[in-house]
Amino acid sequence: MSEGILVSSSPHIRSPEDIGWIMRQVIYALIPGAAVGVYFFGVPAFNVVWVSVVSCIVVEALIQRLMGRPITIRDGSAAVTGLLLAMNLPPGAPWWLVVIGALVAIGLGKQVYGGLGNNPFNPALTARVFLLISFPVEMTTWLVPRPLLVHSADAVTGATPLGAIKTAVFMHGSLASVGHVSIMDLFMGNVGGSLGEVSALALIVGGAYLIYRRIISWHIPVFYIGTVFVMTGIFWLINPGVYANPVFHVFSGGLMLGAFFMATDLVTSPVTVMGKVIFAIGCGVITVVIRLWGGYPEGVSFSILIMNAFVPLINRGTRPVVFGAAR
Amino acid sequence: MLSFRGGIHPPGMKDLVNGRAIESMPLVPLYRVLLQQHIGAPARPVVKAGDVVRKGQVLSEPQGFVSASVHAPTSGKVRGVEECIHPVTGLASPCVVIEADGEDTWVEGLPSELDPFSMEGSELVSMVRSSGIVGMGGATFPTHVKLSPPKDKPIDAFIINGVECEPYLAADHRLMLEEPLRVISGARVVMRILGLSDAVMAIEANKPDAVDVMRREVPGSIRVEVLGVKYPQGAEKQLIKAVLGREVPSGGLPMDVGALVHNAGTCAAIWDACSSGIPLIERVTSVTGSGIREPKNIRVRIGTPLRDVIEFCGGVEEDAVKVIFGGPMMGIAQYSMDVSVTKGTSGVLVLGSRDVDRSSYTSCISCGRCVDACPMGLLPNVLSKLGERSMWEEALSFNLMDCIECGSCAYVCPARRPIVHFIKHMKALSREASAKKRQAV
Amino acid sequence: MLYAVFVIGGVGFVAALVLGVAAVTFAVRPDPREVEILDLLPGANCGACGYAGCAAFAHALVEDPDTPMACTAVDADTVQRISLLLGREIEVAGPMVASVRCMGSRDRAGFRFSYLGPRDCRAAQLVAGGAKACVYGCLGLGTCEEVCPFDAIHVGVDGLPRVVVDRCTGCGTCVDACPRGIIRLVPRDSVVEIRCVSSDSPRVMKGTCDVGCIKCMLCVGVCPFDAIDVSSDGMPPVIDQGRCHGCSLCVDVCPRGVIDLYMVPRKVSIVEDRCIGCSICEQVCPFDAISGEPRRPYVVDLDRCRGCGLCVEKCPKDAIVRVGDA
Repeated sequence: MSEGILVSSSPHIRSPEDIGWIMRQVIYALIPGAAVGVYFFGVPAFNVVWVSVVSCIVVEALIQRLMGRPITIRDGSAAVTGLLLAMNLPPGAPWWLVVIGALVAIGLGKQVYGGLGNNPFNPALTARVFLLISFPVEMTTWLVPRPLLVHSADAVTGATPLGAIKTAVFMHGSLASVGHVSIMDLFMGNVGGSLGEVSALALIVGGAYLIYRRIISWHIPVFYIGTVFVMTGIFWLINPGVYANPVFHVFSGGLMLGAFFMATDLVTSPVTVMGKVIFAIGCGVITVVIRLWGGYPEGVSFSILIMNAFVPLINRGTRPVVFGAAR
Repeated sequence: MLSFRGGIHPPGMKDLVNGRAIESMPLVPLYRVLLQQHIGAPARPVVKAGDVVRKGQVLSEPQGFVSASVHAPTSGKVRGVEECIHPVTGLASPCVVIEADGEDTWVEGLPSELDPFSMEGSELVSMVRSSGIVGMGGATFPTHVKLSPPKDKPIDAFIINGVECEPYLAADHRLMLEEPLRVISGARVVMRILGLSDAVMAIEANKPDAVDVMRREVPGSIRVEVLGVKYPQGAEKQLIKAVLGREVPSGGLPMDVGALVHNAGTCAAIWDACSSGIPLIERVTSVTGSGIREPKNIRVRIGTPLRDVIEFCGGVEEDAVKVIFGGPMMGIAQYSMDVSVTKGTSGVLVLGSRDVDRSSYTSCISCGRCVDACPMGLLPNVLSKLGERSMWEEALSFNLMDCIECGSCAYVCPARRPIVHFIKHMKALSREASAKKRQAV
Repeated sequence: MLYAVFVIGGVGFVAALVLGVAAVTFAVRPDPREVEILDLLPGANCGACGYAGCAAFAHALVEDPDTPMACTAVDADTVQRISLLLGREIEVAGPMVASVRCMGSRDRAGFRFSYLGPRDCRAAQLVAGGAKACVYGCLGLGTCEEVCPFDAIHVGVDGLPRVVVDRCTGCGTCVDACPRGIIRLVPRDSVVEIRCVSSDSPRVMKGTCDVGCIKCMLCVGVCPFDAIDVSSDGMPPVIDQGRCHGCSLCVDVCPRGVIDLYMVPRKVSIVEDRCIGCSICEQVCPFDAISGEPRRPYVVDLDRCRGCGLCVEKCPKDAIVRVGDA
């Protein structure tokens, strides 16, 4: 035997599920949500998706080249960030907005901290919030959904369901003036909103796949959505005239996307089951607080980012019980 | 089914050898019997170059209680006490080199006819001790020490470990199938030594044939318990937890909860020693993996060079890149064909390049898979990050020393981090620091 | 308006009160010696001592009596005063630098296997004793580089660490970190070093390293200053830098080329108008490199001079200078 023989510490076998495999699974799981967005919002949405994915990959490669780090675009994490970013943008977002978003997501959200694994905040959400604050007009211009087959040249803009109720409560003090939104439309995605957040069904399908593949555990989505349901339910029971019903809250806005794909981001969520539960409940509470009383109609992005900041603290507080520890 | 918290499910890969009957390996011209084949104080050689030795003859005297002697695997001439590569450390270590004469004649008085069930416990323990028996699952802790618990730690539960949870390996499995009575009788000797009226034989559910054989052969005093298939089910602490529901305290020993675990192979060796005085000079081991031409279970003399073992099993495939003593999860990679089989060699695993991941590791992505997998309830993610920076002092507060190095964390890690290596590294640094401290005092 | 003034003023007052109370109750009283030592230290916070700054170093000195006097920027007098304050002897050594005693670069020394795992020599040593065929040689994974607080040692492409002498403060961190004990500290002005620590026999070394010391002891025999110590345990001889004059005879005689020059010895010349022709230099020169007639200026034969500098030390008139000095 010679230098050809390989010697390393045990274990000598590895699970085939490496980072690249995980990222591929996440991409598969995101495809239904993105596809529904493209179906309802047409070519502009499709452009947002590919521009976002490509620019995230390019930005990652460029930054790593510049910093002399190994280029890791093959692990697929930049593509996932790109896809998530696209799904968090308005379907009609101009291309430059998408590119800025990619720069922020990969640059400020990820690489400044040292790359994948070292970022405290979800990169796609960092970009979304950055854009929302910097370009409020572009970021809140929502296309009205129209199935691809009946697409016409001129896009029509409208409001999101959450935006509509926020405005109604603000202007009139009650929900009475809001037109009826069918839960079925919310479920299928036939409403205004970010590209990939509209269809609860597609996102649940994708999320279920990730849970089945054991890439995410069920704790975060269930506790996150559950918290939102219970909390909005309580306020709806107290005053249904001002507070929308919990079913509406659960299926509208970015909650499904956030609960299944953003809050469960491996890097920026706690590692233990207990930690995940605490994290998810925190996300739920902050989301509801922002939705019901905040200045913004939607609070999913903020709530997850805020809870991201607490992850190290949660991890510290939820250390598993060591085998054989005195109790 | 009985089990424990955490753990992983790597592919078993056992069907390469578990259907193959044990073959006895023929004599080879040269044996290298390492003096240090156990945990504890080294043994002192009692033969010198030119001595003629017989099979079973004592080659070394143990130094102290936690130590074990080694015996001549066959008859022949001692070439000398030389420096050979040790399969565990990879460094030179003293060994007795014997040139076989091909006669294979026993030393005078062996094998003898003994009736262990009319002997005193202490007599049996000294038989075990003089036979050089150590834990044959791989840990190689001297068996007589485990059979001599201190007065204040009475043993009330004995588990015969037939779990063999390491993927690929099937040596214990074949032993239980083909020679169940050696295992059972050895277990009964242990029960006699400790004055126990019952015992549990633990077998993983992936060996239903062994379970059937054992259920048929065991006396009423031994209960066969089928355990769920999960790695590391055969680890001492996890086994005790699964079978008895007792948790060995952090930093403690099984005897702290009144439990004793012996590997099936060790039981068979105990029986040989106590029924016919035969010392531990051979063992059953699985030679397997995608890189070996003819996977086999072999009965091999202690001291047989790896080169001969490989040759007996048809040689290695073209793409063989890794040779491991033990299983794929906790075994030790070898770099030289000149190492020899020891008492703890539960398997010889040769992996082809397709089974070996050569990719380098990246940053931890905090996915928490290792935390879920850790059977000890540790935070391997944190330990690996600390290990990367050699921060062993901080790691101690994350229960560094509780790690059993089972490898579950590194197996599941998608970032391919060598977590166990980081942990071994920090343990070594910590031991080094405390040795320095002792020296300074 | 008034309301706002009261609120802000009130908040300010309460905060001030809290801070004031905290300053008194939680005050940390440093050892008075610490303050005095801090005054003696240069206060440049250069970090050369390996601590976060002068204050941290002063603290360490007071806390742990074994702390070495690692400050390279104070004079002997200051060290004396610090010793007095601490009530202990502080060893004042000349500036030291790390010296890597292995020349087994990639092309000269082979590997037994390919290693996969942490890039840390201490960790690599744990699997099969390290991948290098020579079990004494440098593993080249750069743990010395990693631990060096001054960025003064770097592993080159040849797999061997090099010390940046200008940055090295002789703190010894790398010496402790190297699992193979290859690095030692030598005086900064050291000229030569035997760069091998292998006790392997020439026979074993044949398959492991092209440059390792074969213990032929030619260097020991040739040294005019008796400055090469023979090791008892089969290790290569070691140069006693205190006695070595840097004549580099040993470098020329080593058949393995494992004795390395850190700096080129500087030959000498005699300043004619200062030389009184006393012949002392001729007598002390071990190389017969100086000749002349009494009471006439002597001359140095530059071909023979090896720059040991004995004559420079002995000349009563300071008439001999190193070549290149003004």
